[in-house]
Amino acid sequence: MSALATVIKRGRRGPESFDRAKLHDSVYAACLSVQSVDGLAKDTAERVCSVLTDWLKNKPEVTSSDIRRQAVKALEPLHPDAAYLYKHHKQMI
Amino acid sequence: MDTPTAFSVIALAALIHTSFQLGVSMVTLLSGHAIGKKLAAKRTLRLVGAFLAGTLIMTALVISTLTYVSGVFFGRDVTPMAWGTLAFAMIIIGVVVWVCYYRRGPGTLLWVPRSLAKLLSKRIHATQMSAEAFSLGATSVFTEILFIITPAIAAAFAIISLPVSLQLIGAATYVVVASLSMLVVAAFIGSGHNISRLQRWRETNKRFLQFAGGSALIVLAFFLYINLVVTPVVVARAG
Repeated sequence: MSALATVIKRGRRGPESFDRAKLHDSVYAACLSVQSVDGLAKDTAERVCSVLTDWLKNKPEVTSSDIRRQAVKALEPLHPDAAYLYKHHKQMI
Repeated sequence: MDTPTAFSVIALAALIHTSFQLGVSMVTLLSGHAIGKKLAAKRTLRLVGAFLAGTLIMTALVISTLTYVSGVFFGRDVTPMAWGTLAFAMIIIGVVVWVCYYRRGPGTLLWVPRSLAKLLSKRIHATQMSAEAFSLGATSVFTEILFIITPAIAAAFAIISLPVSLQLIGAATYVVVASLSMLVVAAFIGSGHNISRLQRWRETNKRFLQFAGGSALIVLAFFLYINLVVTPVVVARAG
C-alpha cells in the first residue's frame, strides 16, 4: 500500500509515512510560482500525486530524494517550467 | 584623480558589485515562495520592495562608512601605498571569484557555506512581513562583504577625491549601479514574468558572470595600479 510507504529523510530527521497532501502542496506551489493558473496548478499536482502513488505501490521504503526525482519526472511533460523550479529550488543559493 | 576618472572608477566598482549574485538568488527565491503561497500580487511586490530597500540601505551604509573612514585616514589624497595594497587585494579577490564563486554542479549554488545557505533559504521561505524581507535584503549585502569590500573601498577612495559638492552624487551613483541587477530582477518579476525563465538564464550564464566579475576586478586593479601608483612615480622621477 502506497500510504504505508516509509520515507527516509536526509540528515538527522527521522523516517515518516508518505504524505500525499504534502507532495500535492509542494507541486501546487511550484506550479503557482511559475505563474500557472490555479485550476491548472491543482490539476497538475493531482496528476503528479497519482503517478507517484502508483510508483510507490509495493515499495516499503523510499528516500525523500527518490520522491523528488520521480515527481520531477512526472511533472516534466505536464509543466516543464514548474518541473525546473521544483528540481532546482534548493540549488539557488 | 580627476572627476571623470573618479566617476568611471565608481561606476566600474559598482558594476563589479552588481555582478555578485547572492541578492539576486535571494530575491528570486523570495518572490517564488511568495507567489507559490498565493500571496496577493501587491503583497509579493511589497516583500520584494522591502528586500530591495534593505539592499539599497545596506549598500549605502557600507559605502558611506568606507568613505568616512577613508576620509579620516587620508583626507582627500589617498597614498599610492594604499592604492597599491587595494589593487593587490582586488587581484586576489578576482582570482577567488574565478575559482570558487559558484560551486560545481547544477543550479546556481554559490560559495556561501551550506549551513548558512540552508538558514537563508529557511528564513526566505518563512518570510511574511516586509520587515523580515528588509532585514534579508540587508543580510544579502553583508554576507557578500568578502567580495564587495574591495570594489567598495575603490569607490570610497574615488569618492573622497571628488569635490565635496559631488561626493553625495558619487555615493548615490555607486548605490544605484550596485543594486542594478536586483532592480532589473524586481522589475522582471513585477511585470509578471516567469521566475523559472530567469533562473534558467542565470544557470546558463553563471560561468560567464563569474568570469566577467573576476576579470573586471583584475582589470580595475591594473587600471588603479598603473594610473595611481606607477604613473605618479614615473612623473616624479621624470621631474
